[in-house]
Amino acid sequence: MAREKLLGPLGESHARVDAPDKVTGATRYPGDIALPGQLWMKTLYAHRAHARIKRLDVARAEQTEGVVKVFTARDVPINEFGLIAFDAPVLAGDVVRWIGEKVALVVAETEQQARQALDLIEVEYEDLPALTDPREAMKVGAPVIHPHYANNVLKHVPIRKGDVERGFAESDVIVEGAYYTPMQEHAYLQPEAGLAYLDEEGRVTVQVAGQWTHEDQHQIAHALGLPDERVRVIYPAIGGAFGGREDMSVQIILALAVWRLDQMGIHRPVKTIWSREESILGHHKRHQMWIRAKWGAKRDGRLLAAEVEVIADAGPYAYTSTKVLGNAAVTCTGPYFWPHARVDAYAVVTNNIPAGAFRGFGAPQGHFAAEQQMNKLAKRLGMDPVELRLKNVLREGALTTTQTPLPGGVVALPQVVQVCARAAGWKATSTERHVADENLPQGSTSTRQPLATGYGFACAFKNIGFSFGFPEGASAAIELHGGTRVERAVLKIAGAEVGQGGHTVFMQMAAEALGLPLAQIELVASDTATSGDFGSASASRSTFFAGNAIRGTAAAALQKWRDEERPAIAIYRYQPPATENFDAATGRARPNIAYGYVAQVVEVEVDTETGQIRLKRVWCADDVGKAINPQLIEGQIEGGVVQALGYAITENFVTRDGHVLTPYFSNYLIPGVLDVPERIESLILEFPDSEGPWGARGMAEMPFIPLAPAITAAVHDATGVWFDELPLTPWKVWERLHERSYTPHS
Amino acid sequence: MHKFAYYAPQTVKEAARILSKNGPNSKLLAGGTDLLVQIKEHVKGPAPDYVVSVKNIRELHDVKFSARAGLTIGAGATISETLATKGVQEHFPAIADGTAIIGSLQIQNIATIGGNLCNAAPSADSAPPLIAYGATALIAGPRATRTVALEDFFTGPGKTVLKPGELLVSIHVPTPPARSGCQYVRHTPRAQMDIAMVGVASFITLDRKGRVADARIVLGAVAPTPIRARQAEDSLRGQEPTADALRAAGDIAAREESPIGDVRGSAGYRRYMTSVLVQRTAQAALKQAMR
Repeated sequence: MAREKLLGPLGESHARVDAPDKVTGATRYPGDIALPGQLWMKTLYAHRAHARIKRLDVARAEQTEGVVKVFTARDVPINEFGLIAFDAPVLAGDVVRWIGEKVALVVAETEQQARQALDLIEVEYEDLPALTDPREAMKVGAPVIHPHYANNVLKHVPIRKGDVERGFAESDVIVEGAYYTPMQEHAYLQPEAGLAYLDEEGRVTVQVAGQWTHEDQHQIAHALGLPDERVRVIYPAIGGAFGGREDMSVQIILALAVWRLDQMGIHRPVKTIWSREESILGHHKRHQMWIRAKWGAKRDGRLLAAEVEVIADAGPYAYTSTKVLGNAAVTCTGPYFWPHARVDAYAVVTNNIPAGAFRGFGAPQGHFAAEQQMNKLAKRLGMDPVELRLKNVLREGALTTTQTPLPGGVVALPQVVQVCARAAGWKATSTERHVADENLPQGSTSTRQPLATGYGFACAFKNIGFSFGFPEGASAAIELHGGTRVERAVLKIAGAEVGQGGHTVFMQMAAEALGLPLAQIELVASDTATSGDFGSASASRSTFFAGNAIRGTAAAALQKWRDEERPAIAIYRYQPPATENFDAATGRARPNIAYGYVAQVVEVEVDTETGQIRLKRVWCADDVGKAINPQLIEGQIEGGVVQALGYAITENFVTRDGHVLTPYFSNYLIPGVLDVPERIESLILEFPDSEGPWGARGMAEMPFIPLAPAITAAVHDATGVWFDELPLTPWKVWERLHERSYTPHS
Repeated sequence: MHKFAYYAPQTVKEAARILSKNGPNSKLLAGGTDLLVQIKEHVKGPAPDYVVSVKNIRELHDVKFSARAGLTIGAGATISETLATKGVQEHFPAIADGTAIIGSLQIQNIATIGGNLCNAAPSADSAPPLIAYGATALIAGPRATRTVALEDFFTGPGKTVLKPGELLVSIHVPTPPARSGCQYVRHTPRAQMDIAMVGVASFITLDRKGRVADARIVLGAVAPTPIRARQAEDSLRGQEPTADALRAAGDIAAREESPIGDVRGSAGYRRYMTSVLVQRTAQAALKQAMR
C-alpha cells in the first residue's frame, strides 16, 4: 500500500483531498442540492428513431394541477447546440432524429406532477425511414438525414503514405480482417441531474455535473442568445464522467427553463434528476465501428503496407464524432512504423443514439483492429507477438502514417512492451495450447470443468490533449496571502474532479510549484465565475494541462510576491505548441502535442462448454512520464482495466431500429466485483515527456485501450478461435466454439 | 411514490384477515427487495393500496433444523438468517448454492426465501434446490392451513397457488437420506448480481451398490415456472451413474424445457447450458453422495 504522507514532494501517494467527505456521505452531488421554492422539471422524449412532428399540443398538460409551464422548441431563442457543430436542436420542433430527442419540458411544483403531465402532452408523429446501419446510410441513394451531410457522411479522413500497392506487392504475407466494435454505455454512478437559478448578479446559473465548465457555459449562452458572461456554470461533486458528460444533457434545458420563467415573473430555481433509464437513453455512447484491414509484411516480420477502412456510426448529430474519427484513423494501424499506408475513415450520421466521447476516444476501436491484425500476423509468421512488436513499434524520429514523428521526449513504446512482457514472464507463457477433450483438467470440485487457459498481448498509444489544430490551453490563477511569509495560497482552476483524483493532483502540483506544504493550498475549482477556461477533463489532459498552467501561474505569483504585492495574485494561461489538422488529400499532420504508451499481458480462462471467459490476471505497463500520485495512477489502471473488461466481455448494448433493448443495469451488465481479475499488476514507467509538467504525460485512457485485443488474443491462445467482434458474451463465444445452434439429439 | 396503507399484524391469522379483506389490492411485504422496487418503478401491474408487513409476526421468522424433523424455514426469515442456522450448510448445501447468490450480501441480509418463492420469477434461484430436496410449503388462509409440494406451488411467471387472503407460512425440507447429494448451479453472463439464464439443481441418492436410487433434476428459468426434468430423472434411476448416463440425462433434460430466446442468448444456447449444467450438478451431487 502507498505510504500515508501529508507533506512531501511529487510522487507521493497523498490521500485524495475529496475522500473524507465522499466516504462519510457529506459530499453533495447535483441531485442532492435543493433550494427553497425550487420547481421540478421533466423531459418528454420522442421515443421515435426518425419522425416528423405533425402536431404538438401542450394545452392539457399546462392546465394540470401543479404545472407551471411547458416549454417547447418555440421557447428556445437559438435552437441548436453541439461541441463541434451547432447541428442538434435543444428541443425538436419539426423532426426528431433519435429516440432520446427532447420534445418538451414540463416544469411543475413537484416531480410527480411534472412526470404525470408528460402523459398529457399530445404529439402526433409521421414516421420517417430510420437509418440505423451506417454502411447502408452512406450508400448513394440512401435517404439523407441532414441536407448538409451529403450521403450522410459527416466526415471522411483519408490518410495516404507511400504506395500501398507496391507495399503489398513486396509483402511475403498478407493478413486481412473485418472487425466490429460495439456501442458502450458510460454507466457512471450518478445519473444526470442539475439545479438552475439566477445568482446574486443575475447570471443564469446551472449547478450540474459536466467535464468542461466553460464549454457548458458557452453552449447555454449560445442557445439562450446571451453573452457568455451572463451564464454561470458550477460543478459540485461529479459522480463519474468517462467522456459521457462532455456533451450537453440537462445543462441547456435547465438554463432555458429558469431563464424563461424569470421573464414570466416567476423567480424560482428549477431542478431535474434523470432516472437511470433516462441516463442510458439520453446521453451519447461510444461509437460502434466497422473496420476492414489488409496488412502486408515481410517474412522477417517487417510491416510494409496497411490498407484500412473505418466506418463509425455517429448517430444523428456531430457531437465530437469528427475528432473521435480522427483518432480512430491515426490508431487503426497501431503504434507501428509503416512505409506505406492508406486509411479511409468515415463518420456516418444515422438515427441511432448519438455517439461521442468515451475513455479512449476512438483509440480502443482503432487498436482492436490493429492489435488483432498484429497478433494474427505473428501467428501467420510463427513469430512471438512481443518480438514482432519490438521489430515494428514507432521509435524516436520515425514517421507515423501522418508523415510526422511522434512528439516530445522518449517514445517509450519499446520500453512498455519489454517491461510488460518481462513482468508477465511472457516467454514462459506464450506457448500455444489447445485443450483436447480427453485431458480436460479435473477441478478440485467434482464437476467437470473443461477450462482452457490462454495468454494474450497488446500495446497501444494515444494522444494527450486535444488534437488536429484545436486551440488548446488551460488557465489558472493563484493568490498568495501573508505578510513576510506566504501563509496560504489559493489555487483557482476550473478543471473538473470527475472521480479520477484531479483535484488532489492539482493541489500536489501547486504545493510543489510554490514550495509550500499541501496544507497551505486552498482550492477553488470548477466555477466559471472564479476561473478562466481550463478546457475539458478528457483526453487524458488534466494533469498535463493543469501542471503546466499551475507552474506558469506559480512562477508569476512568486515574482509578484517578491515584488512585495500583497496578496500576490497571478493569472496565467498555458498554451502548448500548436497542432495541425489532417491535410485534406493525404492526411499529413502533426496532430498531437504528446502521447501516452501502454502494453498489456492478460491471462484468461475459457469455459469451452458455456462460452464463459474469466479474466484472471492482467499486467499493465504504462509510461506516465512522471507519476505525480502513484496510488491514483494504480486506481486509473485498475479502473480502466475493469471498464475495458466490460467493453470486451460483459457489456452488450443492444439496439433494434434505433431503439435500445438494454436500458437497465439488469440487462446491460457492467462487471461486478467477482468479475474483476484476481490480480492487476500496475507497472508504472517514468520516461519524461518534454512538454509535460515535471515530465508527466496523461494516462487515464491508456489502460483501457489494449485490453480488448489482449483478451481476444488470449482467447485464441486458449481455443484456437479468433473473435473479431466484441463483446465476447458467453452466448457468442459458445456459438463460435460450437459453430452451430444446438438442438439436443434424441 | 405511490401511497399505501401499511399494516404490521402480530399473527398469521390477523395478516390473513387483512389480506382477504382488502383483496387483490393488497400485498404482503417481507424483505421488500422485490415489492418496493415494483412499487417505485411501476412494474408488475398497479401498485398496491394496502401493504401488510410480516415483520412483527414472530413465528414467520423461525428457522429450525433437526436431523429427525428436517429443516423448517419461516417465510419471513432472511437468507442470511437461514444460512447461519446450524445444520443448513452441512445438510442442505444446495440451499446455500441457490440463496447465497441472490443479489448481494446486503440484499441477502434483508431478503427472504419466502419472498423469493412468492415473487415467483421463473429464474428464482431458491426454488430449484428446494424443490430438488423435496420441500413442501405451508400455507395459511383466514380459516385454514394447507400444505402443498413446492414443485406444485408455482403456476406461471409471478403466479403461485396462493389464493387471495392466503400467505406462505413456512417451507419444510426433509433431511436427505444417507448416500445423497445435491447441487445447484446457475448460468449468468456476469459472475454475480445477475439473473439466471438457466439454473439447474440435481439431487441424487445412491443405493448400496452405487446405482442411482433416486434422482430429482429441477430446471429454473427455462419454462414459465421451475420444472422437474422427469424423463431425465427416470433415465438415471436404477442406472450406474456413468459419465455417459449423465450426458444422456443432460440431453433429455434439455428437451423437456421451453426456454425463451432474448438479447442474452438463444433458446438453443439455453438448452445446451441446461445439458451442461445437468451433467455438472449431477457429478457434484454424486461426489457428495459417495462421501
